[in-house]
Amino acid sequence: MAGGMASCQRSERTAFAGNSPVAVLKAKSYQQDLTATILEGIRLCGVAVKDKRVLLKPNLVEFDASTAINTDVAVVAAALEAFRSLGAASVTIAEGPGHRRDTLGIADEAGYWKGVRNFEEQFVDLNRDDVSPVKNFAGMSQFFLPNTALAADLIVSMPKMKTHHWAGATLSMKNFFGLVPGAVYGWPKNTLHYLGIDNSIVALNRQFRRTFAIVDGIVGMEGNGPIQGKAKDVGLLVFGEDLVAVDSTCCRIMGIDPAKIGYLQQAADLGAVDPRQIHQRGENPLSVRNDFALISEFAAVRLDSTGRNG
Amino acid sequence: MPEDYLRPRLEALRSYQNPDGGWGYFPGKRSWLEPTAYALLALYAEAETPAWQKGWRLLRSWQREDGAWQPNGHVPEAHWSTALAVTLHCVHGVHDAAFQNGVSWLLNLSGAESRLFVRLLSMVTASPTGHDPSFRGWPWRPDATAWIEPTAHTLVALKRAAPQVRDAELSRRIVLGEGMILRRRCSDGGWNYGSKAALGIDLPSYPETTALALLGLQGNREADLAPALRHAFHLWQDSRSRWSRAWLAISLRAFGTNVPAESPEQPVVRDLILNSLEVLAAPDGGFRHFRPEGAVS
Repeated sequence: MAGGMASCQRSERTAFAGNSPVAVLKAKSYQQDLTATILEGIRLCGVAVKDKRVLLKPNLVEFDASTAINTDVAVVAAALEAFRSLGAASVTIAEGPGHRRDTLGIADEAGYWKGVRNFEEQFVDLNRDDVSPVKNFAGMSQFFLPNTALAADLIVSMPKMKTHHWAGATLSMKNFFGLVPGAVYGWPKNTLHYLGIDNSIVALNRQFRRTFAIVDGIVGMEGNGPIQGKAKDVGLLVFGEDLVAVDSTCCRIMGIDPAKIGYLQQAADLGAVDPRQIHQRGENPLSVRNDFALISEFAAVRLDSTGRNG
Repeated sequence: MPEDYLRPRLEALRSYQNPDGGWGYFPGKRSWLEPTAYALLALYAEAETPAWQKGWRLLRSWQREDGAWQPNGHVPEAHWSTALAVTLHCVHGVHDAAFQNGVSWLLNLSGAESRLFVRLLSMVTASPTGHDPSFRGWPWRPDATAWIEPTAHTLVALKRAAPQVRDAELSRRIVLGEGMILRRRCSDGGWNYGSKAALGIDLPSYPETTALALLGLQGNREADLAPALRHAFHLWQDSRSRWSRAWLAISLRAFGTNVPAESPEQPVVRDLILNSLEVLAAPDGGFRHFRPEGAVS
């Protein structure tokens, strides 16, 4: 497959327009009708879905029954149903975990085989997908990305709302690390660390511009995330096309100042960090603020009690 | 049992060979070195057939001028899977210039953390990962950190290659590589991708990387591997993942541990590496391909 696909992904959406809708909707549990909530989130954000090839990108890392590492399968199954009902040409679930080679095994442990009918037929392991080169990626003249992601008309980033011990917070933008193919870059995808975590997050989001986010904040993770933190009940789903605005909103909900998160600082030309440029729909982020515990290394990113410094 | 278990897996591998002679990670996908190497090992009993030879020629064609192999025909970059190519050359008894160049490339490669500057830096600053850069392992690709899986595969390759290679560096790198694996062992007794702790908190091991680490340590006379082998056996008993069980069976059998055969009722999977690994993990399969025949530390 030609590298032309890549340039198509990169240039589809024009530059940030300074007017980004982000919807924050309550969802108390994974047992409720999440499809209806997701359809409402998509409607509030005005996303066009019909006839598009949609790629749902959950966050699958490892499995530990004692905490909440991965995007809950109930959210993914509901999104699958929602996008299909809106006339998507196809809906594929795809992920490329950063540590484990056995992607289908993690999906099994995380309940995806049980929670999504015919899961294997609808899933692509991005770590072992065929790849095409893109040019000028984070200072590298050439970088390889999976064809399934490059060919998607809409990539729906579906992260867990978590703190992250290197990046501060891991949300819809950081979730794109799972688009990088392990078959080329390994497990972990260490090349991204050498390029700089913040640089790599921004480069991936600069590359993939036809995006939507559904953040699983029903149960998030606080403290020493993204793996060893504690589960935290938040009871929210957060939606938006502008992933910078979505992540900035999530940070405010988590009690984190988005202006102090490195990759959000670097991504100011890609989307809205400033709340005055974000059209909040559904719940007001400050009214549902629920501070996540932060490790000491990130104590300085705490949003002040008024939320004004974010 | 073995025939009932092996036949459908071998048939699947034969039927999913691409027209260019290689195998993709999944049916209908482009050929990559990694699934091609495992398929050629799994089908090694058919090494004289035109189909096997076609795959072998394709794999050989992916070697670069610097001696490394690239991961497929479209990604022109040096890659860890050079270790698999070298192991396959050893299995096939081909020790020509291509083989020697591949070994040389491996011997010249080490994790970026082992560079002199980084080692000097590590003497004055604490590493957040706790890695000791003096024990040089192998990365997935040049200019990256060394991790367990590429180090284990390279150790298997170098130990197999040792009788055919006159280079003192080979023995030295085996010792250093084994030292790297032993120092990155998790507190639970196994290995994960290669970080035993983050920010001072222990990380858990994984079944498949525990199996690979043990394969890399075959022949090591310094470490007491018995507890790790017991841990691996428990992981094999407890794991539901077929990928993990296959690697654990390969590793445990390579150490002479009796592992019960898998049920022939298990369906053949679309994952072509797993298909090959399940063939190689069978009691009369090719797990012996991963055993060292040469130098040990």
